[in-house]
Amino acid sequence: MSTSSKSSRRPCLIAAILAGLIATGCSPTPPAAFRLNMVEAISPTAEKDSIAAEQALTTEQQRQVATILAAMFGTPDEPVCLPEAGLDGSKLQLAAGPVRSDIVGRKNGLYREHCVHCHGITGDGLGPTAAFLNPYPRDYRPGVFKFKSTERADKPTHGDLVHVLHNGIAGTSMPSFALLSPTQVDALVEYVKYLSIRGETELALMRYYFELDDEDEGKLPETREFLVDEILQPIADKWASAADAVIDVPEPPADLDLAASVAKGKELFYGDRANCVKCHGVTGLGDGQANDYDDWSKNIVKIEAKLASLAGNELEPAEHRWIADFHDVLDGDALQPRTIPPRNLRKGIYRGGRRPLDLYYRIHAGINGAPMPAAAGTVSPEEIWHIVNYVRSLPYDFDGELGVDRSMAVQSNVAGALAAQETSDQ
Amino acid sequence: MEWSGTWSLLRSVVCVAGLLAAGCGPVRVAGPAVSQEAVAALRELLGAGVEPAAETAVVASSGSGWASLKGRFVFGGDPTQPAALIVDKDTAVCSKDGMKLYDQSLRIDASTKGLADVVVFVRKASRVKDPVPAEQLVFDQKNCEFLSPVFVARVGQPVDVRNSDPIGHNTNISGTSFNQLIPSGGGAVYTPDRETGMPVSVTCNIHPWMKAYAVFRKDGYVAVSSADGSFQLEDLPAGEPIEFQVWHARSTGPNGGLGLDQPSLKWTSKGRFVITLEQDEVKDLGTLEVPASALGI
Repeated sequence: MSTSSKSSRRPCLIAAILAGLIATGCSPTPPAAFRLNMVEAISPTAEKDSIAAEQALTTEQQRQVATILAAMFGTPDEPVCLPEAGLDGSKLQLAAGPVRSDIVGRKNGLYREHCVHCHGITGDGLGPTAAFLNPYPRDYRPGVFKFKSTERADKPTHGDLVHVLHNGIAGTSMPSFALLSPTQVDALVEYVKYLSIRGETELALMRYYFELDDEDEGKLPETREFLVDEILQPIADKWASAADAVIDVPEPPADLDLAASVAKGKELFYGDRANCVKCHGVTGLGDGQANDYDDWSKNIVKIEAKLASLAGNELEPAEHRWIADFHDVLDGDALQPRTIPPRNLRKGIYRGGRRPLDLYYRIHAGINGAPMPAAAGTVSPEEIWHIVNYVRSLPYDFDGELGVDRSMAVQSNVAGALAAQETSDQ
Repeated sequence: MEWSGTWSLLRSVVCVAGLLAAGCGPVRVAGPAVSQEAVAALRELLGAGVEPAAETAVVASSGSGWASLKGRFVFGGDPTQPAALIVDKDTAVCSKDGMKLYDQSLRIDASTKGLADVVVFVRKASRVKDPVPAEQLVFDQKNCEFLSPVFVARVGQPVDVRNSDPIGHNTNISGTSFNQLIPSGGGAVYTPDRETGMPVSVTCNIHPWMKAYAVFRKDGYVAVSSADGSFQLEDLPAGEPIEFQVWHARSTGPNGGLGLDQPSLKWTSKGRFVITLEQDEVKDLGTLEVPASALGI
């Protein structure tokens, strides 16, 4: 009896020890490290449809980029920043490194506590949960942000990023961090900027290899003039000047009649100037031009198309190796591209915020990184307010009688608009 | 009894080993390791700024006068018919009366084999003859097609992006963050504020088949080969070496650089060559044959 219970317990014990060993590993955990942007290293160009084997960075060039970045930005545990980067080092300390507390009530390592599992240690949007989320978490490295109060080409202000952290992003997996203290949110925003500036510097360095002259022998000049003045400074300047690029929003007309404004907005929505209907669809359900990609996915789509087009060609051994490497990189360092559907405006869920002001910003400047174009200049500020009012009315749009199927009511409502559009087309 | 114990042990080991082998998903490719000494040395240099100010790569002007460069690109293979594009939006306008749109990225003249839309530009110019013109350029679209397959402007020169179609478009210039709605019959003015390294693509998100390219340079030394393949650059600085970059949308070279086999010009695989021109010289590079393989055909 006793021998039997012993012999059946022993394998369990051994398996448990084995599992424990596997979990802890055989060597101490290596310190957290930033990852190189491998997709860019293997095709360093902004125009991803003109990629070629000979432009891929060599191992030596990848090492040079990693060395420069480590010197300029440090590591995830010990971030450093040059004064030219315009970042606040004390805030970075609060956000960086492993989760720990040195003073009672003060917590460090906020990024790794709250953000890293989705946005990744490098801010590449490739955290362990990323593949399971829709939409994917933002990759900060290109320095492009969607929901902001500034003109399309400009960076978000500090306040814009605080706003996103405070409210979360409705309709996505991004939660609100309103329970953190303002100091903590501030520190996280600073760290996001740090990861962005680092990522943009990496892109600029990798793309610069092509600009080198032959006498440079494929090596970037390691001088302060080049690294700081030519590469880092223009990137940091864009971030520093974001506050000057805030969109000037005029007050909506004081005597605005809401019903009339909604009617005007509707005309603009279906009309040829604002042309919202083309993408958001005649029903406003986001079912118009819906097979486009955002800029993050588009790069991967273009690369995949280019690789597919090379598949049938006669290739040199070096090109074969490059394509194989590329597939390895895409498998591990890129997420499956997804199309970006235009927003369904009948749901009343607005990712960039539901205040009328937020909608105004979206229509005025478009959405950077997404296909949504800017309407400013094409329609007047007053007309943008009309569109805002119409868009805000869409979730509650109901012309039918009680008991009538709502979708039928929407269709009949739209049929009139369509007929009007067809007459204007002719 | 002993045997069943061994069996369950074996089973546990196989189970754990299987988990290990399967792993947790695709493996990410590791970048190269970095030497800590190299990082420390570089950080010291950046922090202290002790490095004596290295000469920045400003091209010194050494010559005088002006010269021209011309030539003609011809396609080395059999001219192919451009592919018809899939037009599935706004067909009432975009495929009106059975009109077809064709891929504009490879335009070869059937009779002369001239290759259009090859871009030749100067990488760094030491001096420029004419200041940036203040007059507006027009970048138009009609019949759901951009009218300039390759569009050139100088940095600081206003560009009127127009729409001559009865339907609305948007014009999205990559790398510049210009993405603006262009209403029917209307326009929007864009003033490029920085140079494009290589030409960047211009698209319309409403009509995904529309595609063109844009080149913005400070010096304006940009030539685009015409329908018969010929190009000419004028008022180039004479008496000093000038490096040219050659590009084509379909080139298989790095970043679209068009590498040609021209040993006399030392034409590189990146699509670059260096020439020193005499004052008032009109240098003719003659007929430059572009093999089909260089365009991925």
